[in-house]
Amino acid sequence: MAFDFNVILDNWALFARGTWLTIVIAVAAVAAGFLISMPIALMALSHRRTLRWIATAYVEWFRNIPFIVVLYLFFYGLPFFNLRLPEAIVGTIALAFFASSYFAEIIRGAILAVPKGQMEAARAIGMSYFQGLWEIVAPQTVRLLVPPSTNTSISMVKETSVLSAITVAELTYQGLVVQGETFAPFEVFLTTAAVYWVVTAIFAHFMHRAERAFGAAQGAHQARSSLADKYLLIGARRPA
Amino acid sequence: MQMPAKASDAAVLMRSVSKWYGQFQVLKDIDFDVAKGERVVICGPSGSGKSTLIRCLNRLEQYQSGQVVVDGIALTDDARSVDEVRREVGMVFQHFNLFPHLTILENCTLAPMSVRGFSRKAANETAMRYLSRVRISDHAHKYPSQISGGQQQRAAIARSLCMNPKVMLFDEPTSALDPEMVTEVLDTMVGLAEEGMTMICVTHEMGFARRVADRVIFMDRGQIVESAEPSVFFDAPKHARTRLFLSQILH
Ligand SMILES: Nc1ncnc2c1ncn2[C@@H]1O[C@H](COP(=O)(O)OP(=O)(O)OP(=O)(O)O)[C@@H](O)[C@H]1O
Ligand SMILES: [Mg+2]
Repeated sequence: MAFDFNVILDNWALFARGTWLTIVIAVAAVAAGFLISMPIALMALSHRRTLRWIATAYVEWFRNIPFIVVLYLFFYGLPFFNLRLPEAIVGTIALAFFASSYFAEIIRGAILAVPKGQMEAARAIGMSYFQGLWEIVAPQTVRLLVPPSTNTSISMVKETSVLSAITVAELTYQGLVVQGETFAPFEVFLTTAAVYWVVTAIFAHFMHRAERAFGAAQGAHQARSSLADKYLLIGARRPA
Repeated sequence: MQMPAKASDAAVLMRSVSKWYGQFQVLKDIDFDVAKGERVVICGPSGSGKSTLIRCLNRLEQYQSGQVVVDGIALTDDARSVDEVRREVGMVFQHFNLFPHLTILENCTLAPMSVRGFSRKAANETAMRYLSRVRISDHAHKYPSQISGGQQQRAAIARSLCMNPKVMLFDEPTSALDPEMVTEVLDTMVGLAEEGMTMICVTHEMGFARRVADRVIFMDRGQIVESAEPSVFFDAPKHARTRLFLSQILH
């Protein structure tokens, strides 16, 4: 049995449309998920126990159930509240919330890695909590955020395939359609796999470049002096 | 309870301030006044509550009971009074806490612009004036990690001064410095004292205390044990605990 290229050539338009939708959904879900995760991360770092509890519950909830179950909950849950939206939108929303729980943990960790004295200095010269967060803490987290965010984003690109379960016509769904018409599953899914690989590789490449750009911009002044090293050590040993 | 002659003479008033961390009482019913233009040095063993005390003055720490008034503004739970007080109180930290992603100049102009609403031009002028005063204007465009520890601490002092504070708090400003850099920072602080700045310094630099302090305070286990002018404090301390402490740090 030979690999039948005609299966691909005859149906390239379907694959192309599926790929495009996969990219659009992934980008939208990652962007929205990142925005949603910011308040969650801040709540997780709050002094108020109830806010911390809500954030923890949110993160634990999404992280401990499979995405396909989250998707079904949104798909059947929204109509239950009389909210009827196109499948692709429902799927994107579900993925955004799912992604936000991972991003929230990443952001929380990055903020915690910035020495406490930075926020204290900002507050002491009269800046508000949000000014300190935005002008002082956030810029120092970027370098720490990029690598784990890349990994999570790539996972989310792959999770879009689950949306085929609610008939969103993304890449995997189109693969299933072509397979149903051609009865050539091996050709179809090898092609699908290759496309996912290319999409995630391109994605990773750009994130890597962004990472290096930030690294270069910060490297100039973040080469640590011996004094800065000492400061980090002392900082680590001090009681919180 | 000592009261200043007139309330308006007081830069700082602390009345029966107590603070607990869980069961542990860090500050025990503290009464503490600082007059305008006065220089007070606070010393005491590690863990005695020195940092906690001065951090209560700009609400970096909360306290459970008592009252704090800074420059006539009572600190309340109201966020506005806290912001108001913080604008009038500068603080210099042991580890400088300069913002590593900003140049020295930007470190100095950020708050005047975003908090006081200065134009960039006005903020730059003010910053350059204070940076020259602490003698690091040559390094204005460098990042904190590109200058020495002593220079960083002087930059941190300039950053505070740019907000034109009425009171300056120092929390062991020289104890993270290599010995050869201590003098340059102390000299900057002496200069500030000579200009009449109200200063509250936690430090164990007793030479500095003798030279500039109007009053030296010894804290132990959350209490102010001794409070006297330097000559009395060093040469005739009243309390045994003060004598023991002095013998430990002076030898
Ligand atoms: N966040 C905290 N939680 C619990 N205990 C704390 C906390 N911060 C400080 N303490 C305790 O409060 C006491 C006073 O601390 P503080 O930092 O004010 O002491 P200090 O006199 O400045 O000491 P040092 O000379 O070491 O700086 C110490 O025993 C310390 O362990
Ligand atoms: Mg201290």
